[in-house]
Amino acid sequence: MKYDKFFELAKAAGIEEAELYVETSYALSFSLFHGEVDNYSLENGSYYVARGIINGRFGAASCDVYNAQRAKYLVDEIVANAKIIENDDPAIIFKGSEKYKKVSTFNKELASVSIDEKMKALHALEKRIRELDPRIIEVPGVEYSESSNSTTLMNSHGLKLTHKTNYFYYVGQALAKKDEQVKSGYDLYLGNDFSKFDVEDLAKKVVENTVGQLGGEACESGKYKAVLDRDVVSALMRVFVGHADAEEVQKHSSLFIGKLGQKIASKKITIEDRPLDKSLFARGFDDEGVATYNKAIVKNGVLQTYLYNLTTASKEGVQSTGNGFKAGSKIGTSTTYLCLKPGKKSLEELFQEVGNGVYITSVSGLHAGLNPQSGNFSLQAEGFLIKDGKKDHPLDIITISGNLMQVFNDVLEVGNDIKVTTSATQAESVLVKSIGVGGK
Amino acid sequence: MISKKLAIEVLNEALATGADYAEIFYEDSDARGISIENGKVDTSSSSAATGVGLRLLKENQCVYGYTTDLTKKGLLALASSLNKSFHGERVLTVTKLDMVKVKNRNPIKRSYHDVSREEIIGLLRQGVDAINELKDPRIVRHICSFGYNHRGVAVYNSKEKWFKRETEFARMNFFVIAADQTGFETGHEGPGTQSDISFFKEKINIREKALKAAKVAIQTLGAVECPSGKMPVIVGNGWGGVLFHESCGHPLEASAIAKGLSCFSGKDGDLIASPIVTALDDSTIPGEWGSIDIDDEGNPGTKRVLIKNGKLVNYMIDDFNGRRMGREGNGSCRRQNYKYCPTSRMSNTYIANGKSTPEEIIAATKLGLYTKGFSGGSVDPATGEFNFGCSEAYIVRDGKICEPVKGATLIGKGFEILKNIDMIANDLEFGQGMCGAASGSIRTNVGQPTLRIKEITVGGRGGELK
Repeated sequence: MKYDKFFELAKAAGIEEAELYVETSYALSFSLFHGEVDNYSLENGSYYVARGIINGRFGAASCDVYNAQRAKYLVDEIVANAKIIENDDPAIIFKGSEKYKKVSTFNKELASVSIDEKMKALHALEKRIRELDPRIIEVPGVEYSESSNSTTLMNSHGLKLTHKTNYFYYVGQALAKKDEQVKSGYDLYLGNDFSKFDVEDLAKKVVENTVGQLGGEACESGKYKAVLDRDVVSALMRVFVGHADAEEVQKHSSLFIGKLGQKIASKKITIEDRPLDKSLFARGFDDEGVATYNKAIVKNGVLQTYLYNLTTASKEGVQSTGNGFKAGSKIGTSTTYLCLKPGKKSLEELFQEVGNGVYITSVSGLHAGLNPQSGNFSLQAEGFLIKDGKKDHPLDIITISGNLMQVFNDVLEVGNDIKVTTSATQAESVLVKSIGVGGK
Repeated sequence: MISKKLAIEVLNEALATGADYAEIFYEDSDARGISIENGKVDTSSSSAATGVGLRLLKENQCVYGYTTDLTKKGLLALASSLNKSFHGERVLTVTKLDMVKVKNRNPIKRSYHDVSREEIIGLLRQGVDAINELKDPRIVRHICSFGYNHRGVAVYNSKEKWFKRETEFARMNFFVIAADQTGFETGHEGPGTQSDISFFKEKINIREKALKAAKVAIQTLGAVECPSGKMPVIVGNGWGGVLFHESCGHPLEASAIAKGLSCFSGKDGDLIASPIVTALDDSTIPGEWGSIDIDDEGNPGTKRVLIKNGKLVNYMIDDFNGRRMGREGNGSCRRQNYKYCPTSRMSNTYIANGKSTPEEIIAATKLGLYTKGFSGGSVDPATGEFNFGCSEAYIVRDGKICEPVKGATLIGKGFEILKNIDMIANDLEFGQGMCGAASGSIRTNVGQPTLRIKEITVGGRGGELK
């Protein structure tokens, strides 16, 4: 076995326990501009992350080519890095869970669909976006992309786990113009079953998302009753749930400190991590080799659990929740497939319930306008006015602002318009009591 | 590196089906990072990256692929799978490769490879000690970290040229979280350089940087919410340049301009900004964070005036996008690493000094916002709509800086904001950032003197400005 060399060198260098994480990936993508392929790319990548324990402390190193020279590099760097670590966190390389559930996220049929067929659908997508509405002045790009990934985790305890996944997506962009106003919009289809992809449906969504914004104007600044679209909810929910990371709690920087078993959100809110559901994001084990399981994080507004990896769990004497995933060279904590439990009302029913307010369809600049620590946000937003219970004219150049804790407390209803987003989240639109809008 | 003989073989395989340009990008890089959390060394990690990216062009088509299989077989297989995108006859054959001499403005005097972990920890401890000496119970968590990259690159292309380039860059980050009964706030400082370790010892004051991060976190705890609506905004120097970077820099990249997809497309020579605005992208400044001696396709770094006295005069151009524009690349072709197909990007982008002083601008503002610290932003180049977040801001009343406010975000359309700049000071400074776009995350400097925008939309939770 070619990786034996690494484990032999590690042992010889005095590394007590060692782990090697191997990822290989293949990706193909192409895009069109004015009916011609303008970009075509092919990727064959590999990535190796090694960790080892010396005197109870972790050292880590990574590389993207593996050979005898690199095996030595990984070992040397682990030793040098471990020597200077001063924190007292328990360093654990896992012996393995009793049982692992099998999950399937690899569709071997995807490779048997010819590139010609995938290309044909892309041409059709560009053509339909142009045809569907005369206000579409340009299609900046349409793209097809597919990727397959294999990860293997092995360690000096003899644990060896492998996970394989593949997916593809089509994305279309458009520019629409009315008078002097130009608006851009896009939409994306993500899946791993090619037979389910519908060109016409995606083209319609791209066009709708683009021309729908034309003719907008800013509304008056103030507080509004609001419907937040599921894409917005997905983005905010991921940061909200980040506060359940046990490391943040232990290091005194989480908004959920001392809130276990307490109400942290509206009783309409139930958020689950569902790694074992059939989804593109399913995982049977986390990056430390711990078996994953489905669990509620928030149930009817009450915080059910913090999310643990082996280190943070050991500090509190509890079990890892199977949420230890790589964050650079370190094991952090993240969810696998984060799901907001849907309610019963349709989007239109949510508008009726609002009466007069705003419908926020997208937010931009989350890395700049949302402080994950404080939960405060002020974000560039797009959306529509809601007037007399119906979607009215679009809103141009507005911001929404608030605090994540407040927003999830202010949820009056969760809609039934389930959407699976590319960020491994299932979300629906929600009705909130009040949100700050900056406009005129 | 790969041998010239193999490079020629791979280029010729890539050109076999009619490509009019082929280029091999070989990279051998390594990086190291150390972080100290609440006074204890928390992480130390190392990484090494080796790979080859191969780019083929034919008229307006670009084909790119990369591999970590650096054997002759692996490289030729990549070339032959990529050349299948074209179906013509060979138009070019490479017979030799001549070395291009690169002017080295950023020489590696003392490699970071020769700086021990202990020496780095010693420097970081200056920041840690400064924060600890504050003995402020509101500081609940602080992370002081250091990271460096050593990049070795060799490029071989079908113009029968090759060059190699070695660069090193390093950055320190001070991140402080403060808490009281009202919640959490954060402060951050992140000085970076292409110079050696002496930059951190002599050019900057580590204690001051760490204390600045702590000060902002603590001050923001007590700050009131920023008002919202349209108002005059004074944008502070240095990192305030993120305003220009987002609102105008990205839309002036050839990747947006060439296809007519930028809000500035077709405006060559037009007055797109207030006549007091002159803006540049200059990759030739020695040692600066965003500087490059030679770009990723072999064009030397240059100083480009983008906007002169309000008029649009130039762009960031790479050879490929330049084809659609009828222009040559001007040293703007960049990528994060071999995994990314390169495209036109910024380097050190800034608005030039004006004639006012910062004090004059503040004194001339009756009621508005003064933004001094920034957390980044984003833009849609087609519509020009941008946003950027402020991490440190104050209300200005009757020409005086008053109470600090938190949670301010500025939004607008670049082409409107540029025309609304009505005062520019003479205190140009740079701020170091990482810019993410199609060809990955690259280091860029933003920069500007203090300036005033007479009206811009501000998002905040504090109601009306009073």
